[in-house]
Order: sequence, then structure tokens, then C-alpha cells
Amino acid sequence: MKELISYIATSLVDDPTQVRVMENRRGSAVNLILKVAKSDMGRVIGKSGRVANAMRILLRVAAAREGIRVTMDVEEPR
Amino acid sequence: MNRSRTSLEVIAPSVEEAIRKGLSELGLPREAVQIDVLDEGSHGLFGLGGRQARIRLSILAPEEVETAPSQPPAREAPEVEAPTPPATELSAEDELSLRVAIDAVSELLALMKVKAAVTAHMGEAEEARNRRPIMLEVHGNDLSILIGRHAETLNALQYISYLIIGKELGRSIPVIIDVEGYRSRRERQLRQLARRMADQAVKTGRRQVLEPMPANERRVIHLELRDHPQVKTESIGDDPRRKVTIIPQ
Repeated sequence: MKELISYIATSLVDDPTQVRVMENRRGSAVNLILKVAKSDMGRVIGKSGRVANAMRILLRVAAAREGIRVTMDVEEPR
Repeated sequence: MNRSRTSLEVIAPSVEEAIRKGLSELGLPREAVQIDVLDEGSHGLFGLGGRQARIRLSILAPEEVETAPSQPPAREAPEVEAPTPPATELSAEDELSLRVAIDAVSELLALMKVKAAVTAHMGEAEEARNRRPIMLEVHGNDLSILIGRHAETLNALQYISYLIIGKELGRSIPVIIDVEGYRSRRERQLRQLARRMADQAVKTGRRQVLEPMPANERRVIHLELRDHPQVKTESIGDDPRRKVTIIPQ
């Protein structure tokens, strides 16, 4: 799941070296945190969150296969 | 059979399987196409480390086929590197687009843990000024998970693929992904619905308001009734609740 988001994000950003995906597992729930360069935030979020939402929908397919629930947040780099 | 489709690339776990899938998609016998193996693939546990086989089927011109008497499939061995050149070559640009598209969608599906084969061809531009879309077809068993409610998942896959392919090629090209013929079935249903509701509008003299639909589906309704002499169509409301209204004239 981490790999899915990492593949999509690195394919869409201008600076793939800044892509980080963190995975926090709590039982059968997983939260992914995606970080990209500040200038690439728009590319992974999209207008009205369209890109991020499409990523969440695809994540759901992968999660269903593993019988878990998954959420994803996009965070600004510190 | 769509005559304009001259070449098709197929990726599948093995060369034989890719050929079978490609021929069934084209609806052609083996002797009607030239088969080029682009990548034999490599073994590995399915999807793990193994590379999928990739082939290209080029449709031979009818006269080339007729000279070869159509016999029952004599041999099972793939006829690789047939001596006749393909009738029409894909342009290098289209070939690159198709390869990039197949790679991106195959990678997404593998990472989504969905076992499926992907085929691609260039579609026809709807209007001369538009770009020709990349048409991708996903084949496999039990792919309803890839479609989702109101095709939500399929549309997400199509959108992300479109972005990745556009970024990779450095220019955006329309991308249409279908799963086991879902989109073509849905289009047929929508056309039928359009005609039925138009009849109703004419018979009752009252406007008919359809269910909310995404833009691509509303478009099918508008196009179907564009030349209908007794009704006109209009979309009302805002996405995602925008609906087509059929108005009797």
C-alpha cells in the first residue's frame, strides 16, 4: 500500500527525491502519511483534492485485498 | 470490427497467453495478424520479480490474409516474426505512448494487488482537432472491485493513469480505461435509456429528468438525442448532482 502511494507520488512530482511515505499501523487500520516537496503539494493533492481522493480510492482496493482499512493524509514538509 | 485498429500491444504472464488475449480482443484468427514478441518476460512467482511477456499484434491487410488459406489452427506454437511486414505501422510516437500507458496501468494494478492483463490501442479522435485517446482494456477474473460503485474506482484509476502517462510523456493525452467491457456495456444502456425517456417525453408532453450522472455519461445522452426531431436535452444542477433533462418540443 505504501508502495502504491509511493509509485503514484514519485510519478507525478517534479522532485521524486523528496517523496516520503510513512505507515502507521493500529490493528487492522493503517494510516499513510505522504510528504512531498512544498512545490509539489499541488500535484499530489489536485484541484479540490481530486488527485489525493483518487489515490485514496485506489488504496481502498489494495486494502480490501488485505482485509484492512486505510486512510491517507498529505503533509507539508517541515 | 474496428478497421482503424491496426496494431495492439498485449502484456500477459506468458507469450501464449498474451497472444490468446490479443486475438480474442481483436476477434481475429492467428493468421490474420503478425505477432511480434517484444519481451518474452521472465519467470518468477506470479507478479513477484517475474517480468510479464509483451507482444504486438499487427493486423495484416485483407489481401495478405486471403493468400494464406484459412486453415484450422494447425499448430499451437506461436508464429513469431512472420516474414510479411505489417500493413500499417504505428507511428513511433503512438508506440511510445502505448508502451508508457501499458506500463503505468500494469504497475498500478500490480501494486493494487489485482491480477490482470492490460491491452492498449490508439482510439479515434472524436473531432479532428482533438487528440486521439489511448484506449486501455483490462482483462482478468472478478474485476468488479476495479469498477466500484458508479465506476468510482475505474474513474480514479483512469484519472491517476492519465496524470502519470501525461507526466511521463511530457504532454497530456486522453486516456480511456475499460474493464471487461464495462464502459461499452454502460454506453449501450445509456443510449437505450435516452431513447426510452425521449419517447416518454414525446408521449406525455412532459420533460423527463434523468438520474444524476458524471459528465461522460451525460454526454452519451446528449449525443444520442442530438438529432432527435421532437426533443432537446439540457443539463441542470451542479456536479455531482447534475442531471440531463429531456424536453419535448
